[in-house]
Amino acid sequence: MRQIRFGVTARALAVLVVLGLAIFPVYWMFVTALAPDEELFRSTSVNLLPDFSRFGIFGDALADGRVARWLLNSVIVAGGTTALSIGLGIPLGYALSRFAFRGKAAVGLALLFTQMLPEALLVVPLFAVFRRFDLLNSLHGLILADTAFALPVVALILKGAIDGVPRELDEAARVDGGRPPTVLARIILPLIAPAIAAAAVIAFFSAWNEYVFAVTFVFDKSLQPASVGVAGFIGEQDTSIQSIMAVGLLFTLPAVVFYLFAQRYVVSGMTAGAVKG
Amino acid sequence: MSLRPPRRGRSISVLAAIAVGVTVLAACSSGPSASSGNSSAGPQPATITFAASTLGDPGRGPGLQKLIDEYNASQKVVTVQPAAVPYPTFGQTVLTQMGGGEGPDLVRFDMPEFATASSSGLLEPLDDKIDAAKLKLIPGPDKYLSVDGHRYGVVFENANYAMFYNKDLVPNPPKTFDEFVQTAKNTTKGDVYGLAFRQTQAEEAGVWQDIFNYVLGFGGDWSDGKKLTLDSPKVIEGLKAYQQLYDANVIPKGADAATFRKMFANGKVGMELNNGGYVTATSSANANLNFSVSRIPFPEKKQGTLLAPMVVNANSKHKDAALDFMNWLLQPAQQVKLQGVLGASSVASPTERSAESLKKFPFLPALDELTDSGVPQIVNGFGPQTADIRHIVVTEVLAALQGQQDMATAMAKAQKQAEKLVGQ
Repeated sequence: MRQIRFGVTARALAVLVVLGLAIFPVYWMFVTALAPDEELFRSTSVNLLPDFSRFGIFGDALADGRVARWLLNSVIVAGGTTALSIGLGIPLGYALSRFAFRGKAAVGLALLFTQMLPEALLVVPLFAVFRRFDLLNSLHGLILADTAFALPVVALILKGAIDGVPRELDEAARVDGGRPPTVLARIILPLIAPAIAAAAVIAFFSAWNEYVFAVTFVFDKSLQPASVGVAGFIGEQDTSIQSIMAVGLLFTLPAVVFYLFAQRYVVSGMTAGAVKG
Repeated sequence: MSLRPPRRGRSISVLAAIAVGVTVLAACSSGPSASSGNSSAGPQPATITFAASTLGDPGRGPGLQKLIDEYNASQKVVTVQPAAVPYPTFGQTVLTQMGGGEGPDLVRFDMPEFATASSSGLLEPLDDKIDAAKLKLIPGPDKYLSVDGHRYGVVFENANYAMFYNKDLVPNPPKTFDEFVQTAKNTTKGDVYGLAFRQTQAEEAGVWQDIFNYVLGFGGDWSDGKKLTLDSPKVIEGLKAYQQLYDANVIPKGADAATFRKMFANGKVGMELNNGGYVTATSSANANLNFSVSRIPFPEKKQGTLLAPMVVNANSKHKDAALDFMNWLLQPAQQVKLQGVLGASSVASPTERSAESLKKFPFLPALDELTDSGVPQIVNGFGPQTADIRHIVVTEVLAALQGQQDMATAMAKAQKQAEKLVGQ
């Protein structure tokens, strides 16, 4: 009994250590955002406690109006990219998993190939294409650009998840008269909900953090996403480190909220059916 | 969790190369266009964008914005709006946009990007649009803004490099390089560092600016105007001096410019080689900092200068409007105000420092005197290729700094790569 307790305590401690390592940088950002200048570079003693008397810096950042606008733009771009990637990735993953067609291997390889190219390599040709189709300086243009990078990963994740669903289930549904779209919607999708949630998290974070397309394709200040807005705090000669940390923290919050929201589905999907006989 | 490893770091270096490439491609298809209007008839109503990294500086940005607002209020035809381009990727972003047929109407470039853009036909020629004699433009720096006999810009800012020092930490500024090293060592104690400079690939342009002073200060040059001399003994000597200070552990290693400049402003760094624009930023960050400026104590009295031209984008649909703002800014009254915003930098035409600014910064004349010995940070004779040569040199120098090779080997490799690049 004592051994079991010790094992549980050790595991709990290990989890706490890992959690601490993951959270500490965020906490450090919080402490730095609230630190006065003279505290920033003191190496003889480190102040680990936040100075709450300076909490107004977060209010100042939001009162500016720009930060809220950047965050809203990022939510639109990341949300749009996620919806489009999942919407296109599901049928693509399904087709790659369940159907035999000419060029299937090439499509799979092409999806992998897109991940080998850095986006900086594609920014110039994409710029020309986007200009041709009047997609520059718009949030929907950014959504398309980000989807181009997120979709292959989403499709491959979903293909892998669908591969794991027994084909007998498809065949049984077809015997009952179900056509492929119906089989996908009624049989497959509920079973791969955790994979969809995981793919959504990846697509959302990819678009949320994206910088190169955002800084190059968007000229209008009011359309900037937060990734570009935060970089704007770095000046040529002078940089307000506390402001960057404060805005950086605000920048992480919507993404964390989305993850917490999606995580529920990941967990519920993983445990679904666990108690069925 | 993210889709791929952090993209920005690797993306920026690739983007830099791509941006330069696209400008060359653009040169094949789009030569400079003629001005669309007649300046004497006045500009057509328009809203134009002005991209300047200065606008993002907490110390100088608000002052420049005020000047822009003043122009906007002075007439009702043209409205100038700041373009949103963050400083860390400013050059690459604007060059990519311009190469793609877009971009801000007006740009404040650094010299390497100016050289690339002008040789690629991305800039509007200003030969008959700017009356240099009437505007009394200072000839020294102004001459660098003409390429193949055509003017492509006017001086926005000309900031000489000098030694900034904290008078409380360094009461007696060094006069020789040996004293410089010794002072840096003596000042480094606890959380205070004797010196600070850039030393990471992420700040490639900044490292180039920093090592430029060491190379010039030890009598070297990147070329003789016709041939590259990256591996010449004098260049290597200057870079070895830079490495000596790196190895002496007198700098906050790993700290970027944003961090160590903040440290200087807070009394945590004794000395820094920086340009005149830093005066305003430093005093704005800490009005009580007891600092001064003197000539860089290297053997040769020669140093880099941050020459920043203002240019008109050849793609602009409102060139007349852009020129109207440019000419307004070049008027004597506005030049005085611009210099006030920029701090110790010079502007396009001669201006007299106010008694107030001289009282606040008595070292300003010393900075102004450096204009004659200032050298823009481009490779003489290889202006358009400067950004690529910079990448090669900085990569090799930093590899030497990390102990992967000695400095002579680094520069021999850089010379070979750069020769291949320029076709020598």
